[in-house]
Amino acid sequence: MTTRNDPIKHFFIWPALIIVLVISIFPLVYSLTTSFMSMRLVPPMPARFVGFGNYADLLQNPRFWHVAGTTTLIAFISVGLQYVIGLSVALALNSRVPGEGIFRVSFLLPMLVAPVAVALIARQVLNPTMGPLNELMSALGFPNLPFLTQTSWALGSIIAVEVWQWTPFVILMLLAGLQTLPDDVYEAAALENATPWQQFRDITFPMLLPISVAVVFIRLIESYKIIDTVFVMTGGGPGISTETLTLFAYQEGFKKFNLGYTSALSFLFLIVITVIGLVYLAILKPYLEKHK
Amino acid sequence: MSVRTLKGKRRWIALGGCLVWLAITFFPLYWVLITSFKTPIAVVGGPTYLPFVDFEPSLTAWRELLSGQRGQFFNTFLASTIIGLSASVLATGIGAMAAYALVRFTFRFRLLSALIFIVIAFGGFLLGRNALGFGQGISLIYAFIAALALAVLSSRFRLPGPELGNNDIVFWFVSQRMFPPIVAAFALYLMYTEMGKLGFKLVDSYIGLTFAYIAFSLPIVIWLMRDFFEALPVEVEEAAMVDNVPTWRIFFGIVLPMSKPGLIATFMITLAFVWNEFLFALFLTNSRWQTLPILVAGQNSQRGDEWWAISAAALVAIIPMMVMAGLLSRLMRSGLLLGAIK
Repeated sequence: MTTRNDPIKHFFIWPALIIVLVISIFPLVYSLTTSFMSMRLVPPMPARFVGFGNYADLLQNPRFWHVAGTTTLIAFISVGLQYVIGLSVALALNSRVPGEGIFRVSFLLPMLVAPVAVALIARQVLNPTMGPLNELMSALGFPNLPFLTQTSWALGSIIAVEVWQWTPFVILMLLAGLQTLPDDVYEAAALENATPWQQFRDITFPMLLPISVAVVFIRLIESYKIIDTVFVMTGGGPGISTETLTLFAYQEGFKKFNLGYTSALSFLFLIVITVIGLVYLAILKPYLEKHK
Repeated sequence: MSVRTLKGKRRWIALGGCLVWLAITFFPLYWVLITSFKTPIAVVGGPTYLPFVDFEPSLTAWRELLSGQRGQFFNTFLASTIIGLSASVLATGIGAMAAYALVRFTFRFRLLSALIFIVIAFGGFLLGRNALGFGQGISLIYAFIAALALAVLSSRFRLPGPELGNNDIVFWFVSQRMFPPIVAAFALYLMYTEMGKLGFKLVDSYIGLTFAYIAFSLPIVIWLMRDFFEALPVEVEEAAMVDNVPTWRIFFGIVLPMSKPGLIATFMITLAFVWNEFLFALFLTNSRWQTLPILVAGQNSQRGDEWWAISAAALVAIIPMMVMAGLLSRLMRSGLLLGAIK
């Protein structure tokens, strides 16, 4: 039955196929060919084939390495924190803390707020004179903290906002995963007098590993694309210290109209993401297989 | 009462942790809400926390916003709503059809056909642009049509090489989400500009942005709906097939009504994605079809520290999604979304 054959299947799949092909293959063809050319709109310059010139320029540009490093830092730290907090909250919710129903609904909210709006709220909360956080800090005896104007604080603020916004996604997915774990294993563990920590280490965590790997993978890839939060919160500043890959590409492409360079940059970005994804999966594969 | 329910002290520690996270979740939302009801003087005077207690609420910000003093809010809201709703309805519909086909039918093609497509698409574009002297837009269109036609044609012959099936198609769809959107957004902007030179206005147009959003929502729709259709009992459809009901009527008359919860959940997830999306809107629109995130982001640079107005603007973008979250959570509680996420 599942291998029904009916020509109508083509009418079902082709609309989706055509749309995704058009929107993905056009840009791919266009930017890959452009990335091997020197092409500028402002000031206008005739297109000229430069081979790997754009790529070489980029790889020698310290700004590229800086931006890639900043993006990696933001992505890894924020996803790590999201996972730790998300797992703790999901475990608590799954073991029926009082008021679990209310928590479940309200914990989802940040995920649905537009990142741009989140960044604007963060700017108010972190404002040096009008924001509540600095007042709290002064009350606790700290000096007025430069949340958005000093590099390390600005990076920390961006990471905090990312954690605030995306931990709900981790909670949602891990909770769904936790609910599929069978009860009988835990009953057996309870009979053996296993401590809660042993249960977590030997049952919950290993059985949750496949979905954890997937969640972290999705979040890592998505975090690498970060632009809107940074765009509004710091604009990449101070200087270029919080600039991310997407923001850098936007500046080069849309402000300077340096087409060949931007195309090459976006392909390097694609390569970076692919490499990170593959390395991540390769590192975790033995663990996944061990627990199957 | 499950074995996994916490007991004693641990239960209260867990509750404490949840309450802390709840406070962290709600404080920023609370803050933006009360700031939108503050007067300019109250905002500049330093942080205040409780309406009626340490500041007098006022409607200044909202009145300014609704009277249009703060930019074209009404138009932008309308544009966001139209694009959001139509892109998510279409993406859910088209994606559900594709997901159904991928669950219930078998597709087979050779890897070679896919390679033919890619090679012709690239080769044709370069040939048209550099050798034949067509414009970029025309070359892209010709190359695409030729590549698609030859790839489909080639699949009619028995080609050598590995064979690909349904799972590979699903993987291809889902992998589109891995793509950094900047690659597509920037190239799409240039492509739309080329099309504009040919007479089709796509930059800052309804069709251009909606089309891009449909394409970028399809992977997630197909992923979610495929899991959903796989969980449906196949017997009903088999019974209908015995009665010789045509496939399209099985799909629209039986399958879609049965999967209403999944469709609603998928629609809402897509809507939230499109509503909040920033990068494509930034590249592909400039005035007429600008969406709310762009307008809200612009508030900051245009107005400086006028937080009362910025808060009201941010809330206009936030509130519709909050309402939707309420609906979504109802679905969640009835366990519907669980099946769709797993």
